[in-house]
Amino acid sequence: MVELRGIGKSFGRPVPRRVLHDVSLHVDRGERIAIVGASGVGKSTLLNVVAGLETVDEGHVIIDGHDLATLDDERKATLRRERLGFVFQAFHILPYLTVAQNVALPLALLGRRNAEADTRVHAMLASVGLADRAHGAPSELSGGELQRVAIARALVHRPALVLADEPTGNLDPDTARTVVATMHDAIGESGASLVLVTHSHTAAASADRVYRLTPSGLVLDRG
Amino acid sequence: MSVAAQYALSRAISGRARDVLKGRTLLAVMAIAFGVALGYAVHVINQSAVRELASGVALLSGAADLEVRGPREGFDEHLYPVLARDRDVQDASPVVEVDAKLAGARATLQVIGVDVFRARSITPALVGRGDDALDTLRPDAIFLTRAAARGLGVEPGQSLHLQAGLQVATLRVAGYVGDDGDRQYAVMDIAAVQDRFARDGRVTRVDLRLAPGVDRAAVARRLQASLPAGVHVAPPATTADAVTRFSRAYRVNLDVLALVALFTGAMLVYATQTLAVARRRTQFALLRTLGLSSRRLVAGVLGEAIVLGIVGAIVGLVAGYALALLALQRFGPDLGAGYFEPGAVRPSVDAWSILAFALLGVLAAVVGSLLPALDASHAAPAAALKAADADVVVPARSRPLAWIGLGAGAAMAFLPAVNELPIFGYLAIALILLGGILALPTLARALLHALPVPRHVPAALALSHLRATPGRFASMLAAVVASVALMSAMAIMVDSFRDSLDAWLRVMLPADIYVRTAGDTAFLSVADQQAISALPGVAHAEFMRATTISLDPARPPVVLLARDIDAHDASARLALVGASMVPRVDAPPPAWISEAVADAAHLRPGDTLTLPIAGRDVAFTVAGIWRDYARQQGSIVIERKRYAASSGDATVNEAALWLAQDARAGAVRNALLAYAGTGRLQVTTPGELRRLSLATFDRTFAVTYALEAAAVVIGLAGLSAALVAQTLARRREFGMLRHVGMPRRAIGRMLAIEGALLAATGVIVGFVLGFAISLILIHVVNRQSFHWGMDLHVPWPSLAALGAVLIVLAAATARLASNHATGQDAVRAVRDDW
Amino acid sequence: MRRRHFLTLALGVAFARAEAEVRYPDVVAGAALAFPRDEGAHPAFRTEWWYVTGSLRDARQREYGFQLTFFRSRPGVAEASASAFAPRQLLFAHAALANPAQGRLAVDERAARAGFGLAYANEGRTDVAIDGASLVDRHGTYAAHLTARDFAFDLALTKTQPALLEGDAGFSRKSPAPLDASYYYSLPQLRAQGVLRHDGRSDDVSGVAWLDHEWSSRLLMSGAVGWDWTGINFDDGAALMAFRIRDAEGRAMWASATYRDRDGRTTTYAPQQVSFVAQSHWRSPRTGTDYPVAFAIRAGDIAVELDPLMLDQELDARAAIGVVYWEGAVRARIGGRAVGRGYLELTGYGKPLRI
Repeated sequence: MVELRGIGKSFGRPVPRRVLHDVSLHVDRGERIAIVGASGVGKSTLLNVVAGLETVDEGHVIIDGHDLATLDDERKATLRRERLGFVFQAFHILPYLTVAQNVALPLALLGRRNAEADTRVHAMLASVGLADRAHGAPSELSGGELQRVAIARALVHRPALVLADEPTGNLDPDTARTVVATMHDAIGESGASLVLVTHSHTAAASADRVYRLTPSGLVLDRG
Repeated sequence: MSVAAQYALSRAISGRARDVLKGRTLLAVMAIAFGVALGYAVHVINQSAVRELASGVALLSGAADLEVRGPREGFDEHLYPVLARDRDVQDASPVVEVDAKLAGARATLQVIGVDVFRARSITPALVGRGDDALDTLRPDAIFLTRAAARGLGVEPGQSLHLQAGLQVATLRVAGYVGDDGDRQYAVMDIAAVQDRFARDGRVTRVDLRLAPGVDRAAVARRLQASLPAGVHVAPPATTADAVTRFSRAYRVNLDVLALVALFTGAMLVYATQTLAVARRRTQFALLRTLGLSSRRLVAGVLGEAIVLGIVGAIVGLVAGYALALLALQRFGPDLGAGYFEPGAVRPSVDAWSILAFALLGVLAAVVGSLLPALDASHAAPAAALKAADADVVVPARSRPLAWIGLGAGAAMAFLPAVNELPIFGYLAIALILLGGILALPTLARALLHALPVPRHVPAALALSHLRATPGRFASMLAAVVASVALMSAMAIMVDSFRDSLDAWLRVMLPADIYVRTAGDTAFLSVADQQAISALPGVAHAEFMRATTISLDPARPPVVLLARDIDAHDASARLALVGASMVPRVDAPPPAWISEAVADAAHLRPGDTLTLPIAGRDVAFTVAGIWRDYARQQGSIVIERKRYAASSGDATVNEAALWLAQDARAGAVRNALLAYAGTGRLQVTTPGELRRLSLATFDRTFAVTYALEAAAVVIGLAGLSAALVAQTLARRREFGMLRHVGMPRRAIGRMLAIEGALLAATGVIVGFVLGFAISLILIHVVNRQSFHWGMDLHVPWPSLAALGAVLIVLAAATARLASNHATGQDAVRAVRDDW
Repeated sequence: MRRRHFLTLALGVAFARAEAEVRYPDVVAGAALAFPRDEGAHPAFRTEWWYVTGSLRDARQREYGFQLTFFRSRPGVAEASASAFAPRQLLFAHAALANPAQGRLAVDERAARAGFGLAYANEGRTDVAIDGASLVDRHGTYAAHLTARDFAFDLALTKTQPALLEGDAGFSRKSPAPLDASYYYSLPQLRAQGVLRHDGRSDDVSGVAWLDHEWSSRLLMSGAVGWDWTGINFDDGAALMAFRIRDAEGRAMWASATYRDRDGRTTTYAPQQVSFVAQSHWRSPRTGTDYPVAFAIRAGDIAVELDPLMLDQELDARAAIGVVYWEGAVRARIGGRAVGRGYLELTGYGKPLRI
């Protein structure tokens, strides 16, 4: 599903700061991977590399058999639209859309705006426990609820891979637990793979494998 | 307040002060500067014009206490010794004034005939200076002001050719007259002017200096009682006032237009500050929680506005002065409208107007910042900290205010003029504009909710975003709406005017060829008239005598047109408005008055009107009211035979010729020129006259258009800046959208659609307001200022083009901004860590 | 002869350009003057003046000098004009009051083109007026009227003697050239009676006056810079008129005198019989000009000394006519004994008069 081979990435000029060094990773279909590490070590960058949103200086990224280096921006966007789902630390729910519209966004981008899509959106909202908030405004929701909306949005179009970047970073521990549980449940139902970046062991606990990202590469923490 | 908060506030503000010179803030400063510059420039130009006019009158009337003035062709000279012998009159100086046509040219020269012995003590500026003092008496000698000599390209010793009747009078430039100022006129001996320009037995003015200690007003009253009809006695200042009043409405119009620029500037400051306050809401909330009082916060935001205002005002004053200087040099003090004689006028500068316009600039900035400042201070700190990027709060009280403004504005449009100025008309425009801008969020929401949500995702997202944040984008649109409203109002008014003028010209110019003599000194005698009528190819000829009469010394003289007209078919020659009638056989003969005369004298068809003709009061019946765009001071048409019978004057200055069927205009023109000699007659076709009139019209309104276009550019620049700023502020959102697979191009499209929707909303609301304002301009402001009516005519193509350009430009700006906002930075902006 | 400067300088600068189209009549010898016709105006001639000077006393025996002059000029322009304003005839008036209590002259002047009854010089008898200043002959008595800003007078001037014809029976030569002449007669020993208003009061006055009437078409001869003129009413009824024309060195280029004794015998003196010898000078504090205000005048065997009524009788007419001169009331003495009163005119002592 996801294959990273010897990824290297630097930022900054004139003196580049090396963020990723010789990172290799393999994720199979349905596998749930957690990546932990200290702040600033490059966890988010790694996710963006997987999503094709960052180019790499060294190595190859292969998603669903496509080497991202061979795809143009349009194809990469299409790949993200069809095959990937995202959950962010800061939720990134559009304040000017309703809850349901936010969830429906990936479907809309895929051109699916029909009754079937509406059913799917409501099913997703129901699965994260927010069926009754579908037509509310995001500003009426709490942080935990917003993240649950984000999870619904990440899965609504049945992606093959969900990339989650510190999904509990902005939440209190109780809420975080609920959200992580919701996420795992939902992903479990969908059969998608998950790459979860976190520094929370609670969040990492339910992953199949846990890697630690270090300046010298990815180290398997728990297999 | 804690020290830390003090520090934070000062940083917050000084940080902004640093920003003054860049980006959106720079634009706000420029908008203020632009408004101040235009306002100040127009003010300086106006003041210069008025001062020039007043000093001109002062120069030419000298030390006179009273002036006795009559109609354009003068009054009986035997009034002069009567006045001179009056017990209260110390000195009396007779004057014959003519506008003499320059032979072989279209221009005329003001020639003043004086008795040097009499003028010496009252009007020294009218005494010629030359090598030979006797030249002040010689009939062939003429003295020019230095400006006139420069303008005519002659110097003492050379000859000057003026047209008198169809003859040419050759005069010798004997020296200079007047001061080194810019006024152009010439002085001759009074007898020579009477002889050469067919003014025998007539004077146009007698300047009086009264014996010391007498009551000027009482003497004026006593003298007036003994003067013949149409001759008035008044202090010279009254004449200056009358002339000034003539152009006042035009000048006030320009002043108001300049203030419009300032208003747009204030709107732009409003937009800038609203967005800035919204962006810094979290920051302000933090300061509030740190103990900053809301009063201090308002003071801080207003302090920024004052800095903006001062910088803008200083830049604006300097630019305004430069602009005024340039305009005075290039176009003259009336900006080409034709109210003042051409000639370079020095700008008039005084400390008070500088101060006033600086204050206006600061005021515009403060007013623009007031609502945002209050908004910032009213926001609950906790909520603001949480919802950092919520919509701009629209103060709840603004909605009733909007309706009150619109209602009051509409009501004021029905109030009459104040002191002959459409004060309430202008107030109505201001209120409708303000009300419209305050109602903008409501209007915008209604408009956007009327649109169906499109299937196209970028469009749907764009519409959703705009629908959810009407307050924010209403504030972005304020300047655009204001400028579009004013621009479209102006465009509708000017187009209506132009269209009406064109239609008017068609009615007023039915003949094939028009012949005219320029100035007072050229005319067609009865023999000339017969000869012209008998020219081969001329099927029918009508003649007209144009002169001026004074109905009221406090007003400019009215033009009296004695023409060949059929009382039963007046509409064939005149653009009649409303009902007209044919007087009964036993009633006084008909007179057709222009709208200006009807307004000023409150006359309607059927009323009796008394006109002073050749010193006698002659009664007429108002037979109709006609539209006269050519003579703003008012005009009256009477039958030529009546005029000739009353005045004994059968000469004319204009002829309208209808050609025989097989005649060619060119041949008739040549025959006319052969008869009169080249350059002594202006022979034109209606087509040429129309072209000339419309060209003059366009030139007059060019300045207006320029002012309005500038306002629109400012508004658009403001919108663009706001769009760019807003787009940059939404980077994280775009980053998320890219994460979920929305291509950059689609985001660009979304932003372009947003920009277009925004601009379209602004354009639509602006057009609606503009249409309302144009009605006020046409039916209230123009009617009350200039006393002429016009028919509404909307220039749909130009308005559509203007709207389209604005929408396309807004879309393009937004699209360009998206390139910066959706790149790699946006992607990185979504995460909170590396 | 005298007072020609008004004609030549009436508009501030000389009428230098001869008007080619105008032919003025010549003054020729032997043309008999006829009265009252020749007391009226002669509009065909280039210049003409009526010049009244005299001395007055009020009831308290205060003495005044007065002067009222009318000039007529035909500048030769606008001769063909149809206008009532045509400046064919120009009129100038000049008046002065010498009051020793004031020490300076009070003056008035006016200028106008003839016309509209506001300014005129009529033919047939003396009848001239300009803006309310007038001199009119009413059956042998002249009514002289003037209202100026600082003073006014209304005087009846009654003839007591026939006209004194100057020169050769009224043909008065001004230079060796025979055509350089004027028609000139005087009316000395006019009895003056009337009212003088000045300094806020009104005085009944009486005295003796002198009227000169002269017309000509000629200008001052070339080389002349000025002239001295006097006219004296002797207490015994005799009268003396004398003038000389000076060149730049102060030499007399021409001179003439006429004396009529109390019995009416008239003697005319040729240039070489007439002399003016300055006795004392007065320097004007305003213009710095030295004027010979006292003269010993000799005409044949007549010798008279003239002393000014007051020193400062300088007339500054620069604003109106461009010249400054001295024109003042004088007392006449013979051998120190007061014998009469007259007027003395001194021109060309400042900058030379330009013709």
